[in-house]
Formats: sequence, C-alpha cells, structure tokens
Amino acid sequence: MRVQVSARNRAFHFEADEGEKILYAGLCAQAGLPYECATGTCGTCKAKLVDGAIDDAWPEAPGRRFIKPERGEFLMCQCAAQSDVSIEVASFVYPADPRACRVGTLSGTVGAVRPLTHDVAALEVELDAPCEFDAGQFMAVSAPGVRGRRGYSMVNFARAAQRLEFVVKRKPGGGFSEWLFSEQAAGARIGLVGPLGRATFDPGLARNILCIAGGSGIAGMMSILARAKAADYFSRHKVHVFFGVRTMRDVFFLDELAAYPQADITVALSEEDPPANTRLRFERGLVHEVAKRAMAGKYQNLRAYVAGPPPAVDAAIRVLLLDAKLTTDNIRYDKFS
Amino acid sequence: MARRLICRAAEVPENGLKECEAGGGLKLVVANAGGEFFAFQAICPHQEVPLCEGLFDGSTLTCHMHLWQWDVRTGAPLGIAEAPLQRYPLEREGDALYLGGDSTAIDVGELFNGLSGATLEKLVSLARKESYPAGAVLYRMGDPAEDFFVLESGRVEFQIGRDARVDPAGFMLKKGEVFGWAALLENHPQRIASARAMENSVLLRLNGKQALKLLESDPASGYVVMRRLSGLIARFLTPAGAK
Repeated sequence: MRVQVSARNRAFHFEADEGEKILYAGLCAQAGLPYECATGTCGTCKAKLVDGAIDDAWPEAPGRRFIKPERGEFLMCQCAAQSDVSIEVASFVYPADPRACRVGTLSGTVGAVRPLTHDVAALEVELDAPCEFDAGQFMAVSAPGVRGRRGYSMVNFARAAQRLEFVVKRKPGGGFSEWLFSEQAAGARIGLVGPLGRATFDPGLARNILCIAGGSGIAGMMSILARAKAADYFSRHKVHVFFGVRTMRDVFFLDELAAYPQADITVALSEEDPPANTRLRFERGLVHEVAKRAMAGKYQNLRAYVAGPPPAVDAAIRVLLLDAKLTTDNIRYDKFS
Repeated sequence: MARRLICRAAEVPENGLKECEAGGGLKLVVANAGGEFFAFQAICPHQEVPLCEGLFDGSTLTCHMHLWQWDVRTGAPLGIAEAPLQRYPLEREGDALYLGGDSTAIDVGELFNGLSGATLEKLVSLARKESYPAGAVLYRMGDPAEDFFVLESGRVEFQIGRDARVDPAGFMLKKGEVFGWAALLENHPQRIASARAMENSVLLRLNGKQALKLLESDPASGYVVMRRLSGLIARFLTPAGAK
C-alpha cells in the first residue's frame, strides 16, 4: 500500500505492507516521522487521515487522549493502511539522518530470563539477523498473544549485535511483562521494530555526561556506559550516573555498575536509609534531588540523559532546565514507560 | 465592550505561571517575569498540553511535554519549537490585569514578533487584511513575487510544478506564519510555488519592497527579521540538526 504524507514543509510517500503500522513503515523507509514512545501512549505520532482506509489495532490506546477521532486523527504507531492512503502530519518532517542506525523490522528468540529483583528481570533476545543500534536506543517489542508493543531499551552495546539485553519491570495487569514473567516466555519467538529513540550517545559528543535513571530506566544508561568504556571516554570526560530506586529490595545491577570505577556513580534510595559499607556511593532521597545536590556547579559542557517513570523524568528535566540551565538539545530522554 | 479582567497580579507567583479564564471560553496562561506580566494562549501549539504545567525561569517558558520553548517577552519560538505562542497584551491597573487590545498576526508572527513598537506599528499599517474562500488561489508559480503574506486564520497549502505534474509542498496553519517570502529576497521576482487557501482564510498582505525599506530604517529590527527569515527558509530546505 502506498502512504502519501503531507507534512508542514514537504510531501513524500512510502510503501507499507498489509498490517504494518504506518509509523514503522515510514521509519523503515527513512522518513523522520514524529514519535516518542512508538507504542501507543504518548500521542506524538498523531496524524490525520485525508483519504483511504486504516485499521486501528488498539482503539483503547492511552495515547488516544491526545487525538480527535472525529477529525480523522489517528496514531500512526497503532494504525495500518487498508488501502492506498493519504495522510497529513502537522509537523516538520525531514528525511532520517543518514548517519543514524536504520530502523528495521526484526525477529528473535527469547533466551534466558533472569530475575534481578522481586519485580524486575533481565531478558536476553537472540536475533535472527544482527542489527546496528546506538547506545541509549530502544526497541518496540511484540510477544505472541499480547496486544500492542512495549518499548524496552537495550542494556548492552555492540556493533552488529546478535544478542540484545533488556530490563523488564513487572507491572500487574501489564500484558507484556506478565507474559514475560510467565512460563511461556523462554524460547518464544518475538518481533521487534527498531532501533528507536533520540536519547543516543556517541563518543564523538565530547561532553561530560550525566545520567539520571529511575528503576528500569537504568537499562539505556548501561548501554551508554558500555559504549563509553569501549571508546575510552572516561579518560577524557566525566560521567556521572544517578540510579534511583525505592529500597535495597529494588536495587539491581550493582556489580555491573561497580565495573565502571572511572564513572561517578550514586544510587539513590527514596524510602529508606542506605546501608553501610557499600562499594558504590549511596544517598537517601529522590533521584533528581540527589543528583541536584551532587551536581551543583558541575554542569559545564554537559549532556544529560534521563529515563524512568514519567514523574521522575519530568522532575529531573525540571532540575536540568531550571537549575542546571542546560539547553534542550543537551537533555535527552524518551518517555515510553 | 467592558474590559476583561484576567486575574490579580498577586495570584501569579514570582517567576511563576497561572492559567486564567478570560471569559468567552478564552483561556490564557499568565507569566510573572520579575514583576512584569505576559499572557499567552493557555495550550501548547504542539499538542493539547496546558502550558501552566510547564517550566518557567523568569525569561524562558518551556512546555514540559516535548521541551518546546518560547521567549516570555515576545512568545517567539526558541530551540526546537516549531510555532510561536500567541501573545495577548495586558493592561495593569493596580493589582488588576486586564486584557489589552487584540494582537494581530504580525505581532505574534514568526518574523516580526518582539520588534520595536514603532517598527511593528508601521508594519501593521503596511498590511492589508484579505479574506479568501476555501479553494481560492493566492498565487501561481511564475507569478511576480511582490507581496508576502502573514496567516491570520485558516489554512494555506503549497504546490510545486505545473499543470498535470504538481506535487504538494507543505502547508501553513498557525497564526503568524509567513509565506510568499520570495518577495523579501533580492533576485527572486517570481513565485516558486503555488499557494491555495484550503479553508476560508484570513491573510495580511504586505508589499515586500515597502517592508524592506521600513526595516532599513530600523537596522536592529531588520537584522532580527533577516536572521529569522534565513532560519525559516532553512527549515524548508534542510534536515533538522544538519549543519
């Protein structure tokens, strides 16, 4: 099916397969369509149907609160073209950056599912074909029998990656995470679309780095740390990591984080006092407040990465804009939780 | 018509924001910038996000959703923002803030907002307000490019190519957007695209030569306009972030 797009600055078209979501087809065709979560919650990929027919796979998607169906608006990440369609995207759309990793439709097999805490697990996926991604990116993952997709950041970093690692938090009633924590997950076939997301790190950045992560948001930061280490980034630039969880029961990746002694790493516990005699530095408090105290006066030449539950991300962004006075291009985050 | 009370100055915290009902369904966000008050449309022009939930440091207003930013004195877009904020002039009497006159598309427009008052007034006096029904052609490719336009309301679409071989080339829908800017360039006497009103639209038409002459007499404003014009043209030509 042909998808004709009229954007604010130009018009273009691409092909979409039957059942293929319009957003994914466009991203695979190197069109820089607007999106943030790519999985139905944020509403950023809103478009308007001008002509043709579409099928909405998830009419109850939370992101639908940002659209007006009576005006023909729909979410590109949830809708597939049923005929040739003509759509309108009310933003500026440019061709994808040719230096960015190409978005593709991938498949793989779930390997080990390793519990990290009472409600967080590490998930390994063996890809059928290797893929390229940048540190900090995520995949929109689908599982058999589970409706919709979920966004998960890669934990590892490798060129031509054959294996991807993710962190999954169990959410009661959350279709994907409940499936993953069930018996059926190991060995199951899953689909992935990606890599996605703008919160990328490349060593060519040549700036100090500040990572503020709440809970499973630490996943993408681990990839950034791995990329930085491979490029000997620590010898030239400071890397600060603040990892916030509620209690010691919720913390994970302590050994993995301790493997980066050159990085300045702090674990923030919001609901209990930190234990004594730890290898890593621990502080009591919400992660954005702990970061704010520790970072005062250290914001020069800095790029910040933020990930985690939306309220934690918003609070951190507030600190980065109002206290740190960072410019918006140096605050990178993807809200897909 | 009676003046419309927006709110009391004391209700807006220092370097803070407050959403106010201006009557007639009009909602505004009022910003207190160190004791000076500015009012804007209450909802982000990007998505349906209330700006009163945004971030404000006394000079820059940021929508928390996608970090679009504006200069609080003018509503001019900063950084990644793709549209200006519509600013509503306020009049202060004691502690009371009233809605002042209506701001025109030129005041809020991406090229001219925030210019010196005298230059803005002269620009407004150059402008002729025109209404077009849906479907009306504003100009065709190859027509002489003497005037440029500021969108007041409605929607205008562009096409490139002629006859059977025409391709869509984007559209305008925000109050204050400027098009037909070939009239502000030297050596571009002809239209390079066709423009058509796709809804009933209201436009301000300004003569390019007259506007340039006016800006020459106020080079500080002229410099700002030229900088913005080059940014605007670049936006239609190059990928975001490309150097």
